[in-house]
Amino acid sequence: MTSDTAPSDLDRSQWSGHTSETFVDPRGRPAPPEPATFSGDRGGFFGLISRGAALEFVTLGFYRFWLATDMRRHLWSHTAVGGDAAEYVGTGRELLIGFLFALAILAPVYLLYFLAGIEAERAKAFGSAPLFLFFYAFGQFAIFRARRYRLTRTVWRGVRFWMTGSGLSYAVRAVLWGIPMALTLGLVLPWREAALERYKMRNSYYGDLQGRFEGRGWDFFRQGWWLYPLAILSLAVVPLAPFVYGLFKATEWRWWLSGLRFGDVRMESALGRGELISLYWKAIGWMLLLALALGFYLWAVAAAVSSASGVPVNKLFAAGLSSGSMVFVALLAAGYLVFLLAASVVMRVYLLRDLWERVIGSVEVHNLVAADNVTGLGAAASALGEGLADGLDVAGF
Amino acid sequence: MTDSVDHAPDRSGPHATFFDGSSSRRRLVDIAFSDRLRIADGDGPLASWDYADIRRADAPPGVLRLRCLSAPALARLEIVDAADIARCIELCPDLDAAEARRGTLRVVVLGLAASASMLGIVLFGLPLIADRITPLVPQEVDRRIGDAAERQVRTVFGDKTCNAREGAAALSALVGKVRGAADLAPGQDPIVVSSPIANAFALPGGKVVIVSGLIAKAENADEIAGVLGHEFGHLKHRDSMRNLVHAGGLSFLAGMMFGDVSGSGSLVFASRTLITASYSREVEQDADTFAIDTMHRLGRPPQALGNLLMRISKSQGGDDVSWLSSHPLTQDRLERMGSDDVASGGPPLLSSEQWAALKAICGPARKI
Repeated sequence: MTSDTAPSDLDRSQWSGHTSETFVDPRGRPAPPEPATFSGDRGGFFGLISRGAALEFVTLGFYRFWLATDMRRHLWSHTAVGGDAAEYVGTGRELLIGFLFALAILAPVYLLYFLAGIEAERAKAFGSAPLFLFFYAFGQFAIFRARRYRLTRTVWRGVRFWMTGSGLSYAVRAVLWGIPMALTLGLVLPWREAALERYKMRNSYYGDLQGRFEGRGWDFFRQGWWLYPLAILSLAVVPLAPFVYGLFKATEWRWWLSGLRFGDVRMESALGRGELISLYWKAIGWMLLLALALGFYLWAVAAAVSSASGVPVNKLFAAGLSSGSMVFVALLAAGYLVFLLAASVVMRVYLLRDLWERVIGSVEVHNLVAADNVTGLGAAASALGEGLADGLDVAGF
Repeated sequence: MTDSVDHAPDRSGPHATFFDGSSSRRRLVDIAFSDRLRIADGDGPLASWDYADIRRADAPPGVLRLRCLSAPALARLEIVDAADIARCIELCPDLDAAEARRGTLRVVVLGLAASASMLGIVLFGLPLIADRITPLVPQEVDRRIGDAAERQVRTVFGDKTCNAREGAAALSALVGKVRGAADLAPGQDPIVVSSPIANAFALPGGKVVIVSGLIAKAENADEIAGVLGHEFGHLKHRDSMRNLVHAGGLSFLAGMMFGDVSGSGSLVFASRTLITASYSREVEQDADTFAIDTMHRLGRPPQALGNLLMRISKSQGGDDVSWLSSHPLTQDRLERMGSDDVASGGPPLLSSEQWAALKAICGPARKI
């Protein structure tokens, strides 16, 4: 805890019940850990994203900035620690502007990339392949800056989280970690994640509480090494993959959350290894159902168009772009779009909301009293990073 | 915190939780609904908020969380008592103004306008942009791209170029005649690469590549001349560059529109494929026109190209790397070439010896 900088007339510690120096309650026992809770209503979230998906459909994706904002507002405001719910204060308009700025930057970058690619190809056939590294680095930069945007839009108890550090420096670290990753076929993943997370967290703050990451690569490795051969096996035995992935993600989440620190505040996650597997299976089941529905729809459309136009089904594509086949293609495209949007709803319900609920529900926060009188610091960062992440297709949610 | 409540003295007014926005200290406060919303604790007033400036902030169910435009941006007042909440809603005229101003309808209208303009740009703007920009790109760029593409072609086909001396001479003679009729400056002879695939393409910068399967499938020199005429049409119109500008612009626009909508990768790919297909159809038509005109000038039958296409389509069926994949054989293409059956008054383009030599350009022993 830093020095008490609050004005004296605000210093009403009788309400907090703790004195800021000792982190114990008045009865002299250490304060018990506070569970993190998620109280979001599933139906409400489903309504929000279904409506959002429909609007995305109507606006050809333009609505996504507002949908992303609404999803975050829902998740944040129903997530509480120590009885106080968080708040997401970003807006869709910010995301749109960030995206437009990102476009202005990406357009010449893409052009330069293209020209450099031609020169490399002239020197050697497929010599431009290493240039993808550039976009990988750029994507890492965007990931770092997007996290900064989201963190600075996160407010809890009237104080915002914020972030310093350099996206460039982060991108260099991420690319350099790529070398041992390639040499060991991914076995150093735990150490890579730990190192990158240490960089992100030591540049993260809640008010004047500095963050840090105490998860160790070795611990992650010890908890999850046996998934490595299983992952290889699941390349051959595909139905194994959701199990392996679910086990891996649960292990990763628990390790990551348990390593997070802000000042003396410590997080601990008790997420069970198998707790996420069912979510992946539910998502897969729904996707299969949707795919089946899409297949049936396509078959029905093909049959209807062929009986209306008299062209046999197998000649519909070969007939070139005649008016009949244009209708056919338009119907196919519409069906596919609806499928994609339904799929996005499924993914967001299971792999975003439900996953969030399970992960948050596993968290206990120790020594939360250290966050009882934190001085607000930090300013809101621009949404450019988020825009870049969107343009480069590396964004999370 | 629950244990903090134990220490709260009895209060007269309604209770609420207040965060002043400069520290994370949680204060249990009294609120009073007078001329302004007054917030105070045991030691005196903490803040007073003008009702008109008060806005709703996100909160879990059962909690009314307020912020105030004229207070520190992150200052929050949380009210849980139902009667107090109702009172606040009644007193604050613009409680939900931020939400109303954002207006979903506005976003949708804006989005529709954006998609309409995007569609307009893609369907009408991009072809125009491709037409206008292509002449501005120096030929040098075409040549460099062509060099790069040629290296890739040679890598893919394992550098198996065919250049039997007599066959090359026959091809050269044929190319000379077509070039002359097409009013093209003399240039490099086509590269013939050895592969059973029946294909031909024009590289940017002026090179034409013929894959030997096409020669094997051809039954006379007119058919090859038709293919050459078509490819020279692409060169004359700088179609590679136009396609490049068009495809580049399209990828960028499509990516921009859909961004990270999940699964959009395939959607972008699908829409791009459709639009590129319809654009390249126009480009192909122009190249066909050029080929037909050239054959007219040579006095040779334009439908030879159609015959060759027909034969390839029959023998290859679903082979997706043939000439047909990039040059889909449509009924109207065939009709255009077929209906143009003018008397083939011109002299044969190649003698039968030359034709035989061309057929054997990849070596006589090679059986395709």
